[in-house]
Amino acid sequence: MKLKDYYEVLGVDRTASEDEIKVAYRKLARKYHPDVSKESEAEARFKEVGEAYAVLKDSEKRAAYDQVGSQGKGNQGFTPPPNWDSGFEFSGSGFNPNTGDQSGFFEEMFGRQSRSRQQSTMDAKGQDHHAKVMIDLVDTYLGVKKTIALQMPSFDTLGQVFMQERKLDITIPKGIQAGQHLRLTGQGSPGIGKGSAGDLYLEISFKPNPRYRIDGKDVYMELPITPWEAALGETVTVSTPSGSVELKIPTGSNSGRKLRLKGRGIPAKEPGDLFVVIAIFTPPAETEPEKEAYRSMAKTFKFNPRKD
Amino acid sequence: MTENNIQIEQVSIVENEVQMTAVELCHSIGLEHEYLIAWVYEGILSPTGNSPEDWQFGGDSLSRAKKALRLSRCLEINTPGVAMVMDLLDEISLLRKQIA
Repeated sequence: MKLKDYYEVLGVDRTASEDEIKVAYRKLARKYHPDVSKESEAEARFKEVGEAYAVLKDSEKRAAYDQVGSQGKGNQGFTPPPNWDSGFEFSGSGFNPNTGDQSGFFEEMFGRQSRSRQQSTMDAKGQDHHAKVMIDLVDTYLGVKKTIALQMPSFDTLGQVFMQERKLDITIPKGIQAGQHLRLTGQGSPGIGKGSAGDLYLEISFKPNPRYRIDGKDVYMELPITPWEAALGETVTVSTPSGSVELKIPTGSNSGRKLRLKGRGIPAKEPGDLFVVIAIFTPPAETEPEKEAYRSMAKTFKFNPRKD
Repeated sequence: MTENNIQIEQVSIVENEVQMTAVELCHSIGLEHEYLIAWVYEGILSPTGNSPEDWQFGGDSLSRAKKALRLSRCLEINTPGVAMVMDLLDEISLLRKQIA
């Protein structure tokens, strides 16, 4: 396993004081907090920063870490991919550097402290679990059946961490939006005593797709067209998430014009809209006849888009 | 799709179909009850009902509560601070919509 350089993650010296570490952590936590930050890998960086702080703020853990770090294994790169935590299941509300259940990296290096299991004779509902799941945009248009594989860190009888995988066949409900949650009743931790099992919450996000931009229920896509299609207002075939559509370009359209296809966004009682944004592509003038065609246009039009 | 997979017959979209009591919402994200009460009185969450026992939270409260929890734990912000940050985040997303 690669040893992450927690000092480098926080951007502090190995001799940094507790206060310096705290200040560095606070700054980075604010910068990368996924609810606030717009940086693309914010969540992964935030998690990394939280993990580094959880170790370095605790003098015992820091000492243990320094011990291993001094054996010359440090400084190896670690860049988690974006959405690294999709497909993993956590109990509680997912990542959280200030509670015990963060990344197992430190525990895997140094062994996990014995976990106090709640000894209780009371009946209680099992813990609810949370996981993130990525789906395709078309899945929400159609409401398809999908198999979702979730991995959850678990402990074997010797207390070793291993990844337990389970597969769930579920029907993605038509019309679900990014950021919304699915509740799977009874798929969390088993109940205590006579208590019922906890629930599993799946937070949905869409796999990145260069063709579409999604804003709530509305979907945006670019439509490349030729200058003559734009000028003459021709009808073109557009492939949309809900199938092919014959679309009449309004005569004399310019790039950036938004055409609204009402109700062709993400389905719902009041469905979203699909916005087709026109992008006029200029045909290259390479051969002599092509150049001549442009010259003749220049003569015919006497058009100056900069005249004011 | 194989037989070994767990077959889930019923799923609900929390945001559209689920109403939660205070106990259910706290349980779902592992939140202490006192926090939830403080958040409601600070206006972070707006349930219907007059007293904590009768509170009913709309499904969108889950995302809001998760966000509030992350802010309060990870950035160690106190409750009025969380309310302020949530208001500002709401405003930012409204402004982003207007310029889109």
